[in-house]
Amino acid sequence: MLEKLKGIIENYVDVDPEKITPEARFIEDLGFNSYDFMSMLGDIETEFGITVDETQVADVHTVGEAIKYFEELQG
Amino acid sequence: MKELNINGAVMQCYPLSAAQRLHYYTIRYCPTQVLCIGTGLYVQQDVDFAVLKKAVYAAYKMFETMRLRFVQDEEGNVFQYIVPFEEREIPFEDYSNCSEEEAHAAMRRRTAVPFERFNSPMNEVVMVKLPGGYSGIYLKVDHMTMDSASIIGFNKAVLENYCHMKYDYPEPAPLKPYIPQLLKDLEYEAGSEAKKRDEEFWAAKIAESEPMYTDFAGQGRLLTQRRENGNPNQRYAMVVSQSPEASISVYPLEKEPSMRLMKFCELYNVPMASLLLMGMRTVLSKFNDNEKDVTIKSCVARRGTLSEKYSGGTRIHFFPMRTILEPDVTFLEGIKAISAEQNKIFRHANYDPIELIMKRGQHWKYKPGTSYESISLTYQPLTINRNTPDMPDIAYKSFWYTNGVAGQPLYLTVMHRPEDNGLNFNFEYRVDAVTEQEMEYFYYYLCRVLFRGIEDENRTIGEILEMI
Repeated sequence: MLEKLKGIIENYVDVDPEKITPEARFIEDLGFNSYDFMSMLGDIETEFGITVDETQVADVHTVGEAIKYFEELQG
Repeated sequence: MKELNINGAVMQCYPLSAAQRLHYYTIRYCPTQVLCIGTGLYVQQDVDFAVLKKAVYAAYKMFETMRLRFVQDEEGNVFQYIVPFEEREIPFEDYSNCSEEEAHAAMRRRTAVPFERFNSPMNEVVMVKLPGGYSGIYLKVDHMTMDSASIIGFNKAVLENYCHMKYDYPEPAPLKPYIPQLLKDLEYEAGSEAKKRDEEFWAAKIAESEPMYTDFAGQGRLLTQRRENGNPNQRYAMVVSQSPEASISVYPLEKEPSMRLMKFCELYNVPMASLLLMGMRTVLSKFNDNEKDVTIKSCVARRGTLSEKYSGGTRIHFFPMRTILEPDVTFLEGIKAISAEQNKIFRHANYDPIELIMKRGQHWKYKPGTSYESISLTYQPLTINRNTPDMPDIAYKSFWYTNGVAGQPLYLTVMHRPEDNGLNFNFEYRVDAVTEQEMEYFYYYLCRVLFRGIEDENRTIGEILEMI
């Protein structure tokens, strides 16, 4: 999932792909703002066939946490 | 898409997006409205104007939407197309012997003159020399072609091209094409599943309950209209006017207190726009008998992907941001609630704002021209020198000039100053609806709420309302 998510993230922020690690924080390390992040969720839903809950996703700060949350949704 | 013959050439023409229609309807239904945005970017150094002219032409090549024009077909439908090349004469004006106020007054007068709507360029660049050793460019664009993010991008491109040509700094990166982004918007609007989801979201939002109008100058406007209409329960107010004359007042917040607001946002991981909305809604509550139900028109820039960020154009949608907060909610809890609501809106921000306002009006049966919002907020995080480490250290001045008219009573745009990253609060106001004193009062209370809130994030709204 990390590789697919990396591909999506690269469409949103101009960042060195090597910096997109599980520890990377979306806002502080990758330069996301809240609109970028919420907008990206639409692409993630399409790519992984899941439906994201905006209130739960507020607790997601790092790429690793995002992967864990999306994997849980996939069952 | 349609092919039209324009001045002997067959051009690919595209319908307007929802963001463009929002502006187009404004001038269609209010013919005195002007859609021009004027800006000035001036640097404190001896500018080589021959090189600057080349830098502007290079920026025209980079920005497709600076070459965007409009056309009407035989049925009166409006389309847009891009001309391949733009090298119009760029005039030079020397104001170095005038006062600074005289120079800026000349730019304001220029900004008030609208463009020819069809088959004509929709922007104008003037090279300018100001008093005090500053020189640079004045830029006027039509809002149907560019928004503030695009304007900042164009000014930045001119500056980067100039530094590249004059001082051999790196060439600016190419931009993204505009038409694919427009086609994505048009595809969304043509009955997509995403639009259906957004329609359901906004229909449910509208039906929740009727919002309450809260005025930036207190309850007078609503109470008067209730009396006039013989409806003591009226919750909306007439906000449009036949007299759209407008002005801008800018209140600069010093660097240090601006940094305190930014540090607070960093510390608690909340967006600046949510902090500002919390401040504004608390002031509106204070001015309207501690009303808990406050709605503000909030701007969504709709630039998430890199293609959206770097393709120019106008992408802004406005949505009602409704907050219902009890007095025992803390300042930080309030910001987080606003942030959560903003996130929901972001997920449905492609929806046509005109359709939304029409549906809300039909649902609550209010008259055209009335609203639940007295003020709108735009927070613009971009600055000309942000993320450009390759630029030389130059002193800047930037200005936004009013076009002299406004549809709504009061628009607040909060922007970072390029010179020190402090915040400027730009109030654009309709002179028949807002007095200078009312605006100052609003800004004064906004600052009081913001700083009382950030010095103790656990203070409740009720406590803050009493303190201020």
